[in-house]
Amino acid sequence: MAAENEHGKPPGGAGGPRKLDRREVLAGLSTVPALGLFGYAWQKQRHYQRARADAAVTPAATGDVQEINVALLGAGAQGQVLVDAMLRIPGLRFRAVCDVWAEYNLRRVVNSLTRFGHEPNGYEDYREMLDKESELDAVVIATPDFWHAQHTVDCLKAGKHVYCEKEMSNTLEGARRMVLAARETGKLLQIGHQRRSNPRYLHCYDKLLGEAKLLGRIVTVNGQWNRAVAPDLGAPSRYAIPEARLRHYGFKDMAQFRNWRWYRGLGGGPIVDLGSHQIDIYTWFLGANPSGVMASGGLLYHDPATHEWYDTVMAVYDYDTPAGPVKAYYQTQTTNGSQGYFENFMGDQGTLLISESEVNYAGQLYRDPNAPAWDRWIQEGYITAPRIQEARALEDGAVADVRESVSPDQHTVPVVLRDPYHQPHLQNFFDAVRGTGTLNCPPEVGYESAVSVLKVNDAIEAKSRLAFTADDFHV
Amino acid sequence: MNANTFPRGPMVAITVLRVLVGWHFLYEGIAKLSAPAWSAADYLRQSRGPFSGAFRWLASQPDLLANADLITMWGLTAVGLLLILGLFTRWASIAGIGFILLFYLCNPPFVGYFYSIPSEGSYLVVNKNLVELAALLVIFTVNSGRFAGLDRILGALVARRPPLAGVPS
Repeated sequence: MAAENEHGKPPGGAGGPRKLDRREVLAGLSTVPALGLFGYAWQKQRHYQRARADAAVTPAATGDVQEINVALLGAGAQGQVLVDAMLRIPGLRFRAVCDVWAEYNLRRVVNSLTRFGHEPNGYEDYREMLDKESELDAVVIATPDFWHAQHTVDCLKAGKHVYCEKEMSNTLEGARRMVLAARETGKLLQIGHQRRSNPRYLHCYDKLLGEAKLLGRIVTVNGQWNRAVAPDLGAPSRYAIPEARLRHYGFKDMAQFRNWRWYRGLGGGPIVDLGSHQIDIYTWFLGANPSGVMASGGLLYHDPATHEWYDTVMAVYDYDTPAGPVKAYYQTQTTNGSQGYFENFMGDQGTLLISESEVNYAGQLYRDPNAPAWDRWIQEGYITAPRIQEARALEDGAVADVRESVSPDQHTVPVVLRDPYHQPHLQNFFDAVRGTGTLNCPPEVGYESAVSVLKVNDAIEAKSRLAFTADDFHV
Repeated sequence: MNANTFPRGPMVAITVLRVLVGWHFLYEGIAKLSAPAWSAADYLRQSRGPFSGAFRWLASQPDLLANADLITMWGLTAVGLLLILGLFTRWASIAGIGFILLFYLCNPPFVGYFYSIPSEGSYLVVNKNLVELAALLVIFTVNSGRFAGLDRILGALVARRPPLAGVPS
């Protein structure tokens, strides 16, 4: 049976006057209901997604939770990460967002927050925001490093509590101003070394190193953040910031604005962006600031015309800890992402391999064969039962040397973070704002970390070991 | 072979096929439009095969990439709508074939290529992109909208009128 109309003539043919009969109309409209079905399914899907999002974000402040009016200053990629985490913290109300890239960043984050029921006002100029938003309790700053000091000091002096992303500042002078401003104003300043509030790191610091002392005497530390080559960030020209505004805010062009981390005077390069987090952990876990650092680094791969900071850095710190001297190695490179990022603490009784990642190196412990048994700590639930690393069968007939070390038993740290990585540190900050907690990374701690990290770039320039004095770490 | 002469059974089946393909296109487009900051950049940067240079170059051009993202999001949505409705079916089919051909050539499952992108199946040369492309070829060939779709109404409305009496042809 051919698909012809009831007159036996093909529809739409050129054989005569065409009359739109009922059958043709029905056939023509026969697939329209599929569109309705699609719309129904799509609405169900949206409701489902919305319900999931609502379940995860912004529980409203209840009677016993003080609502905090908050602003985001710096709505770029890191600002978005912080917003995503803050949306899951109860009792926050976004009142304002500020970003100089009003054409893109500002619009994106304001729209995003609006979808979650907030009504933030958008600003390009943070001073205007501080003038108009008198009800703000706190400002979360995620601007480029070279703006941190000015933004933080002005916000503190305007009477706001501040959470500022690391690195605290690209200069020690700027970091020092931030510490002093926090002291003068009496307002809270949390620096964004978020591992300091990560429950797995806290468990390792308090329980495994502090109480159980599972590693014995720590003698060496090594860590890294290896990152694969990534193209420079770009921006469609229709979203470009006008040149006058770029220059007003300290950028020579849009490319520099998007890739500021690579430029001297704006950021500190990968050792500051990445190493800052992990070298801070060295200091925290070792309980001492470094006494010296030697480092080698260079711009080995990227184009010097658009990358001013070192793409490869290898540094060795000396620590004089209460337990004895420690050598701590750190490397970051941006040409190969193998093995990612981790910190590895090695003592005479065991090793702790840890990272912020929930996927890689999420807390592994190795007990050296001669160390005391860890049974008690397994029973206490501090670590898991061992997974014995059996000798690998040498299928190709190769013979293992008799001097091979016995593989240590492997345990894991039984603490999992199911929230965004930055959420616990932000939660800690807002708890402190409410007066129900104390800051895990106050400005003095952030300053010590900045001193340790910024010195690496100096040591590369100096091509020699640079010493720290105790006074270097004090403001 | 076209919608006017093909047997009804196969035409119904092809209409169902057209609606399903359209549904898939429509949701691919809408999902991208409703994502906060969707971009094809990552997909393009992982391109393999003989055209990988061109796709990676496209990913490195912010202006072109922004346009490509817009064209992809709105293009998929429009193709999906038109296929479901059976409106301008042949044009929609051609556009759909164009999109899918680009997706296929960007990351082709050729012999010896091993992707780290999660895949829901196992493919050797032929993947679901290619199958959907073939489906669109069938839809284009039989002009399925002329059987069941707004093209049928449109065809009837714009069909050539007979010459008026007395007017020389």
